Amino acid sequence: MSDTLDLLPVLPEIFVALAAMAMLMIGVFGKGEGVRPMTMLGLAVFTVAAVLAWMLGGERTTTFGGMFVMDSFAGTVKVMILLASALTAAMSVSFLEREKLGRFEYPILMVFATLGMMMMVSANDFIALYLGLETQSLALYVLAAYNRENARATEAGLKYFVLGSLASGMLLYGVSLVYGFAGTTSFDGLARLFGGEHPVASHAGLIAGLVFVVAGLAFKVSAVPFHMWTPDVYEGAPTPVTAFFAVAPKIAALALFTRVMIGPFGELADQWRQVVTFIAIASMFVGSFAAIGQNNIKRLMAYSSIGHVGFVLVGLAAGTAAGVQGVLVYLAIYLFMNVGTFAVILSMRQKGRMVEGIDDLAGLSKTNPAMALVMAALMFSMAGIPPLAGFWGKFYVFMAAVDAGLFTLAIIGVLTSVVSTFYYLRIIKVMYFDEPSESFDKPLSRSVGIVMAVSTAVVLLFSFLPGPLLSTAKAAAVALFPQ
Amino acid sequence: MFEIGLSHYLTVAAILFTLGVFGIFLNRKNVIIIMMSIELMLLAVNLNLVAFSSFLNDLVGQVFAMFILTVAAAEAAIGLAIVVVFFRNRGTIAVEEISQLKG
Amino acid sequence: MFAALIFYMFAGLTVASGVAVISARNPVHSVLFLILCFFNAAGLFLLLGAEFLAMVLVVVYVGAVAVLFLFVVMMLDINVVKLREGFLQYLPTGALIGLVLLLELTVVFAGWAFAPDVEALVAAPAPTADVASNTEALGRLLYTTYAYLFQASGVILLVAMVGTILLTLRVRAGGRKQKIADQVARRAADTLEIRKVPTGGGI
Repeated sequence: MSDTLDLLPVLPEIFVALAAMAMLMIGVFGKGEGVRPMTMLGLAVFTVAAVLAWMLGGERTTTFGGMFVMDSFAGTVKVMILLASALTAAMSVSFLEREKLGRFEYPILMVFATLGMMMMVSANDFIALYLGLETQSLALYVLAAYNRENARATEAGLKYFVLGSLASGMLLYGVSLVYGFAGTTSFDGLARLFGGEHPVASHAGLIAGLVFVVAGLAFKVSAVPFHMWTPDVYEGAPTPVTAFFAVAPKIAALALFTRVMIGPFGELADQWRQVVTFIAIASMFVGSFAAIGQNNIKRLMAYSSIGHVGFVLVGLAAGTAAGVQGVLVYLAIYLFMNVGTFAVILSMRQKGRMVEGIDDLAGLSKTNPAMALVMAALMFSMAGIPPLAGFWGKFYVFMAAVDAGLFTLAIIGVLTSVVSTFYYLRIIKVMYFDEPSESFDKPLSRSVGIVMAVSTAVVLLFSFLPGPLLSTAKAAAVALFPQ
Repeated sequence: MFEIGLSHYLTVAAILFTLGVFGIFLNRKNVIIIMMSIELMLLAVNLNLVAFSSFLNDLVGQVFAMFILTVAAAEAAIGLAIVVVFFRNRGTIAVEEISQLKG
Repeated sequence: MFAALIFYMFAGLTVASGVAVISARNPVHSVLFLILCFFNAAGLFLLLGAEFLAMVLVVVYVGAVAVLFLFVVMMLDINVVKLREGFLQYLPTGALIGLVLLLELTVVFAGWAFAPDVEALVAAPAPTADVASNTEALGRLLYTTYAYLFQASGVILLVAMVGTILLTLRVRAGGRKQKIADQVARRAADTLEIRKVPTGGGI
């Protein structure tokens, strides 16, 4: 470690942190800026940070004594996170203004949460990981309870808080045991220790620590069996917040999960693979079967996201570069599918009130054919029907699992995927074959329309131009493995 | 018995951690007790880290424990704020009993 | 021998007050037991040679966090009896799971072993007391190697502050606020008027 501190790799984080504080100053001392101008500022911040992260995410560089790492994995994931945050922030403005929730702190908290996520994916030490995770989580707890006059929203916030801090506790306990065994919290140090000539894998304390770490991370991605209150949180939180929860933190937490498992614990793959496989299978099952009986679309999206987490973990269970590539491709596609679907959900208003029932979509093909078409494309993609983007996401993770010899896992994945098709198709059936109920309020807000159009375009056209994403994901995946 | 070693401290931490987990499952209705149980879990983690730090003769464990203390204080503040707004809406702090959201 | 007795006293009281925290009938008692628990844990930290953390635990935790808990518990009018319902119902299963977890952990800890050549991995060897005190050594680390984490925890505290204010601050209509600037800027001439009152005339 040289004496001069290299701040270049941390530039995106420093920029976002300073920008968030500047926004706070403008909000507090300005002339009562509302949520709209603040969100515009936030979008600008996300854009600049994404450009910075993209430019810096090439060579692997570490700084702050090896605590912070910037490589093409971190760069790629950061761009995805910033894109997700920007899209969900753009969608939320009109909702917040209509529901009289437009306070300037909302975009600022989103920026802080995004900062935490960026710190998470660049963490190269367990202490740095914990602090990034908590920056994100604290901002998200507040966002969940943002609508403080509403009993459901505050209950969602409370449940999310209890779950989140329980998960942090488990994770920390595991980390403390790993530290006690290895004498270091640095990812590089751990990787060197486990990759060394001494066989250390069988030590009971280390395995106990590893199990707690996996459990804590599984909590954070709300995988089964740690998913208890996820549907409640999704249903209770304000819809734009739910959209944010479903995308950006999921991507960040799954990327973090991948980095921790492949990086420091890469040599212990035989130990963690069974646990991750179990979690993946359980998540795919619950995500497919529990969603069938749901009538609230936000609850349905919660189960759907649990299922998607299961599919992503299939790629992680493979533990190979191809598997990590699959994870990244899946996450990128998941981003657009979910953002698009939530744009549709945000447009579900009848007579000036938000509705959330699946029945409320009845006859959408007659009252609003364009939106029905968008929703149909997104649902087909979620179900994984070729040639839409969702198919390719599943294809790459399952192929990686097969290549790694995990045939059972791949087969279970395909089967649960077929089951999940059922409830996605049910939505399409309701839209196209049921008698129209009430039509939705028009006009759509412009930003929601744009988000809807962009995500549908990506989902439809991905098959024609998969090259750039695949090669980026591949370069990012390879960066995680020691050369 | 009279030779106090690392495993003595680890056992105390393990008991505290178990009490924390146990307390969450036992007091599912009382959010404040749940939050105190989480504090107990974090205390257990800190005890673990300090014990390892002492026996490894390495200060990183203590630095980590200090950050955990900082974050736990921030977390407690946010948690209690959410409890307060929840109470204002509901007039109770019981989560499960009158849940509007089905588990 | 003496050190062992001290250890058992602190450890025993920590565990006992931990049990009391989760089983006390009244939340106020729980908070008080939490404070006792933190005090004794600070004693354990002292025995381990972490003086600074022991003091931080007492000052920050007992002084701020536990008091915050106490404040909230007393501010909210909690129906104690109702919240106890179901406690006994979960007790057997919970106790069983807890015991199993505890047994497993103790078995793991009974023969704790460090990684081979763990000394090589240690990042910040603790200096002996004649070189630097515990506080000084921690300070040196915190502001140099761990500066990134130090900044990050500052961000976390800022987020917590913004979040709590956002959630709980309510500007009441008709509330009377003190305007210090106006009070300081007040002059006698603005409010006082000297009048000549004719004797016996009244005003």
